[in-house]
Amino acid sequence: MSDFDSELDASGLNCPLPILRAKKAIAAMDAGQTLKIIATDPGSVKDFEAFCKQTGNTLKSSGEEDGKFVFMIEKAA
Amino acid sequence: MSNRLSGPERRETILSAAQGLFARKGFHGVSIDEIARAVNVSPAILYRHFDSKQALYEAVLEKFSGQRQSYVDTIVNHGTRFEDALAGMTQVYIKNIAQNPDILRIELHSLLEGNPATHAFFQNRWKSFTDYIEFGLNEYLPYDLPDREKIILSAGLMFQGMVREVLIQKCLQPQDRLIDLSLHELSHELVNLFLHSIGINKTQLSRKATISD
Repeated sequence: MSDFDSELDASGLNCPLPILRAKKAIAAMDAGQTLKIIATDPGSVKDFEAFCKQTGNTLKSSGEEDGKFVFMIEKAA
Repeated sequence: MSNRLSGPERRETILSAAQGLFARKGFHGVSIDEIARAVNVSPAILYRHFDSKQALYEAVLEKFSGQRQSYVDTIVNHGTRFEDALAGMTQVYIKNIAQNPDILRIELHSLLEGNPATHAFFQNRWKSFTDYIEFGLNEYLPYDLPDREKIILSAGLMFQGMVREVLIQKCLQPQDRLIDLSLHELSHELVNLFLHSIGINKTQLSRKATISD
């Protein structure tokens, strides 16, 4: 069982593209589902925190794996 | 100046003096001694905070990147239409430079000096725009358009040159003939001209050119 429902690879992209693509991906998902996002822009750590704060979605985790940033966002009800 | 500043306060004072000097004279035009004199400390004290002039220079850039305005608000609040987000991002960027034109001065010096750290730093800032434009046009332009790739790359370059020039003209060398146009108005007009020049008008854009996955 995977712990996410969709995955978005935003490697190599700068803000705001990862945010923009995450916003679109989340719009297509159901409440309670989780989106995994992979990004390489160091600014994305702060950006996804701000994004979740503003949209009410939950940032379940934010970490670094193999030099990439990985975020898990759960869509709000 | 008091010698009783705390470590972090001293560091801030040095950074701020260094920023001003690098902005006026470029990396090679400033010596460690000169920065130390500007904050009334000995070079030895300065070296306690920064290992080298290069480290100090990079710390100034680091400070700028901390102040970078995020485009998250633009995306969350302006919708995902290509032209709205591009206009919103442009406003964020020019506001940031207007508040701190030293960023632009250091960028221009660095273009002549060829410092690898600054080159990467500024390229990365512009990449937000060029990436965004490349993705947007990739969605919008017909797939069989001749020279499609060249058009997409040139459009990013055109936008970067346009925005950088308006910032130079308004923030660094105010021009009399542009005095009646605010930076905000000018950039608004330029974004419109840009959209027009790549062959799309606003109504078409609203229907077609949103960026999807």
